[in-house]
Amino acid sequence: MGGNAMQPLANVTPLKRAGSIQIQNVGQVFRTSGAEVVALSDVSLDIKPGHFVVLVGPSGCGKSTLLMMLAGLRQQTSGTVLINAAPIPAPDPNRVGVVFQEASLFPWLTAEENVEFPLALRGVAKSERRAKAEEMLKLVGLEGFGRRHPHELSGGMKQRVSIARGLVQDPPVLLMDEPFAALDEQTRMTMGDELLRIWAATGKTVVFVTHSLTEAVYLADEVAVMSARPGRIVDLLQVQLPRPRTYEMLSGDAFGSLRDRIWRHIRKSA
Amino acid sequence: MPGRLALALSRIAIIVAIFMLWEVLSRTGLVNPRLLPSASDTLATLADLLKRASVRNDLAVTATEVLAAFVLAVPFGCLLGYLIAEYRYFAEVMKPLLFFAFSIPKSIFLPMFILVFGVGFAEKVGFGFFSTIFIVIMSTTTAVESVKMEYLTVARSYGATRTQTALRVYLPGMLPVLLEALRISMIFNLTGVILAEMYASRDGIGHQIATWGENFQMKQLLAGVVMIAVVAMAFNELVRWVETRCSHWRT
Repeated sequence: MGGNAMQPLANVTPLKRAGSIQIQNVGQVFRTSGAEVVALSDVSLDIKPGHFVVLVGPSGCGKSTLLMMLAGLRQQTSGTVLINAAPIPAPDPNRVGVVFQEASLFPWLTAEENVEFPLALRGVAKSERRAKAEEMLKLVGLEGFGRRHPHELSGGMKQRVSIARGLVQDPPVLLMDEPFAALDEQTRMTMGDELLRIWAATGKTVVFVTHSLTEAVYLADEVAVMSARPGRIVDLLQVQLPRPRTYEMLSGDAFGSLRDRIWRHIRKSA
Repeated sequence: MPGRLALALSRIAIIVAIFMLWEVLSRTGLVNPRLLPSASDTLATLADLLKRASVRNDLAVTATEVLAAFVLAVPFGCLLGYLIAEYRYFAEVMKPLLFFAFSIPKSIFLPMFILVFGVGFAEKVGFGFFSTIFIVIMSTTTAVESVKMEYLTVARSYGATRTQTALRVYLPGMLPVLLEALRISMIFNLTGVILAEMYASRDGIGHQIATWGENFQMKQLLAGVVMIAVVAMAFNELVRWVETRCSHWRT
């Protein structure tokens, strides 16, 4: 796993399988003004360390809710969520980094200060923080942009900073909630390739939420297809396409049949 | 698009025109010069007044009172406003009550302040504080609500404590709205203190202005008006300048 700063912590972790995720029979029920809404029903998913898993499904299928549970930002009503074989009752930045949708960078901080933010919360010394932020910005291809404020960066660059912020504490798991949804098509493709490069370089377990079927198949080792009312996983696809993924694969038969299979599920539930 | 220089020149031209109109109206006798002394006379009187030790003392007294009331009201009001916005139950209870309180003209309470504190420093600072606190609380509540949910979720997901969230997310996130609130609060504060001075006081520039008015010393009265107007505008512009410096994180 990249980065030396977290080495001592990695030794403390008793489990070798850092970055494993088990979701077992998870249910989530919301109560809104008397009525009960079942957001998630009996969701189970086993994610191996270092895998790239994409959650895809129509709006309201609970994919973001599921992601927020993995982040410790929300608690399930029933079932178990385990990361590194331990439950996650509250956010734990040592185990999980989160990359949000656009505009989650603090506009009053520079790019490097945004990346340092999680470290600053833990009281890491300034010089160490700065070094770590520089390393992360270099990893995401933004060397030399540290002093810029978010409003001086393009949409794609902002999301690179977000990824750097998610990785700065070297957590084994990176969660991404529709990170490229607000980007234009070209930038989106480029960012997909960039993300795969970063993923390959760091060996993180990635859980990625998206609306885009193409993005799902292009990025994933496994695609979990979800349907709405109640939110549940209706299919789990293994994407056997070789890596590195290339633009040419998009027009191949294997790619097309996987995308069709997802689409049939989504059309059914829509 | 006219350039910035052209805009500035137009503004200056308007100010000059107003002073010239004032001068002409008075000089030609279109308006009774006893009621409206000319602009040049007023400015000469202003320069004259500023040389007087007693006037300088009055200005110092007023400045101290205004500053004391401001320094008390702003942090206290910000804290209350933050707590009200952060704790939903507290907000539900307090918000309508604050709106009720805010709608009442504060000046009707001035006699009570005089009875409680007597005529003097405490009364004027107290009334300035009272005139300012409600607007500070209400603006802070708005400022807290202007902070995007996304920022709070980010802070939470990286394990920020309550204090860290307040200092590292709320405070900078609120700053643009808060600075505007500060500016407006100062207007209320200044009004409160000067009103208290004009109503019953032994010193302060408000007291002087009231006295000049009663004695029909129009030149001094107008000079006093110009003096306070300039100070108020200077403060306003100073805060506005800081505001523009952090405007890029206002969305």
